[in-house]
Amino acid sequence: MKKTHIPKLDDFIGGGIPEGSSILFCAVPGVECEAFGYQILNGIIEDGHKGFIFTNVSEPNDIIYEFSQYGWNLEKYLEEEKAFFVDGSSNFIGVPPMGKYSINELSQIEGIVLNAIDDVSNGVGVINNLSTLIDYLEEDKIIEILDKWNKRAKANNTILVYIFTKWGYEQKLIDTIKNSVDSVVSLTSIEERVIIGQGFMVTSASWTRPQNNMVLFFVLQPGGVKIYIPKILVTGPYNAGKSSFVKSISKKSVSVERMALEKFPTTIAMDIGHVDHTGFVADIFGTPGQERFDLMLDVLSKEAVGAFIIVDSSAPQTFARAKEMINKTHAKAIPKIIVANKQDMPGALSTEQIREAMKLDKNIPIIPTTITENTGVEEALDALLTLLYGDTK
Amino acid sequence: MIKTIESGIPGFDELTLSEITEGGIPGKSSTLIYGPPKTGKSIFCNQFTYQGLLNLEPCLYVTTDHGLKQVQNNMMEFQWFIQNYIQNQSLYIIDGISQLSGKKIENTNNIKSSFVRNPSDMMVKIGIGTRFVYKKSNHFRSTLDSLNTLFAFNPQQMVIRVLNAYLRRITEAGGTCIIAYTEGIIDPNTENMLKSLFDNTIKLDGQNIQIKYHFEEEEEVTNYRSTYKITDKGIVVKKV
Repeated sequence: MKKTHIPKLDDFIGGGIPEGSSILFCAVPGVECEAFGYQILNGIIEDGHKGFIFTNVSEPNDIIYEFSQYGWNLEKYLEEEKAFFVDGSSNFIGVPPMGKYSINELSQIEGIVLNAIDDVSNGVGVINNLSTLIDYLEEDKIIEILDKWNKRAKANNTILVYIFTKWGYEQKLIDTIKNSVDSVVSLTSIEERVIIGQGFMVTSASWTRPQNNMVLFFVLQPGGVKIYIPKILVTGPYNAGKSSFVKSISKKSVSVERMALEKFPTTIAMDIGHVDHTGFVADIFGTPGQERFDLMLDVLSKEAVGAFIIVDSSAPQTFARAKEMINKTHAKAIPKIIVANKQDMPGALSTEQIREAMKLDKNIPIIPTTITENTGVEEALDALLTLLYGDTK
Repeated sequence: MIKTIESGIPGFDELTLSEITEGGIPGKSSTLIYGPPKTGKSIFCNQFTYQGLLNLEPCLYVTTDHGLKQVQNNMMEFQWFIQNYIQNQSLYIIDGISQLSGKKIENTNNIKSSFVRNPSDMMVKIGIGTRFVYKKSNHFRSTLDSLNTLFAFNPQQMVIRVLNAYLRRITEAGGTCIIAYTEGIIDPNTENMLKSLFDNTIKLDGQNIQIKYHFEEEEEVTNYRSTYKITDKGIVVKKV
């Protein structure tokens, strides 16, 4: 077993990757994927093993530079012969190749990579990039080559890491590729018109039953892949039920509140909670609803990846305020759910009436709830998770 | 009325004025500028970009034929100065070619180096760039000059896949994009497919300009034709 050195990933796949296994990083276009391969290679070499990088997308010198940006010294590993390149790029763009192996013709790729796998037994090979190979070679040929590489890797106890971008290929081809490796890690994006977050999730691992948690990450230079706990915002007008909502979705929560009119508590600073729902972990930040605390909305909403907008269904006069709060918290630009609370109250509007009154786009989900009775709360959570993570969850 | 944005090309907006449009480039659409070499496609792209900057519309500019320095020089010939816009970060540049010549471009907030042969990396930077300009304004422009280098360094199918992902990214964010391409460098079938990916096409042959707009609301393609000249003010379209 070898550690991947990607935070959290080792925990999800039972401690690491068994020697001789293959792992595919399968990315939505626009999501950073190369760093995963490079970080694994760097870590495994640091642990005292050998590794190679097959590249058909960058020249070796650019990759060395890229490593140095992450704070990793690939040059030293090359000098010490702990690492080497299979340069499948330079000859095709007319610059002098560099590395132990270089490829002149596409037909050489299969054999040369097999040699490279032999050279790093008990080590690691990174294939960057598998998707670029597909359009150069026949699709059937790719599957055949993958099988040969993986068999050889198994025999040599070499771990193979494939970097793959899911351009518009036929689903059948993607499935076949996924089935020909031991483990698949999906790299996906959280989008609201633009990419606002990136996440990874293990979708299969032949040696264990992986935890299918989604983890958000960013790639830092220096640093490499770092994970973070996403932040979910809960906002809405005064007395709509924000604190109750935070309490009901969190295992533990804290409110900074005081008694309003000495009758019921009102939030004067923030609510903080922590949600752990079907493998999804997030920090919850609830805002106050009163206008006099609006100066805090900006701070509280920074870097949030999703939002719950809580409204009192029986108080349509507060809807304008709800819309104002969506603006002030920048929640327009992130995935959001309207939680139509107090459905048990007389005169509560239906979700469609609320959509009409608030002039909400039809793709923003509105979930009817009665937070005090805990109805609809779970549905609201699920709806936001679906928006954030789509079908992968 | 179909919303349009100023093209920045003298005569162009008047030519495309009609009962259903205000004249200019249709907003939130994709346009392919194509034609033989040396007919002014890059000039068109730069003129379009510069007009956006003047109108305070940020721009995501992907350059693959020329490095950033060369683009700046090319634009300076027409008195279009972009340095200020780079400094105030309303111009976001992805340089996909300087790396090839061994020049290391210093990455900043709004200048990113990538490489045409590494579409995954280019797409990551396009994703970040789209977010960057979108945050500044949801009326933004996007220019890619040109597909030629992408085709020169990658299989045709690959470029089409990347282009699809790029167009999706820009249109989802509500940007207006134009892309330049030199006619005849790929096989005719792929070229037809390429043209069909765009809402609009503009053909420049050195003398004639032929515009085809395909509005979402309209079934028919709307055609405009005229002639043009390349002057020291860039492209100037003759009024008809």
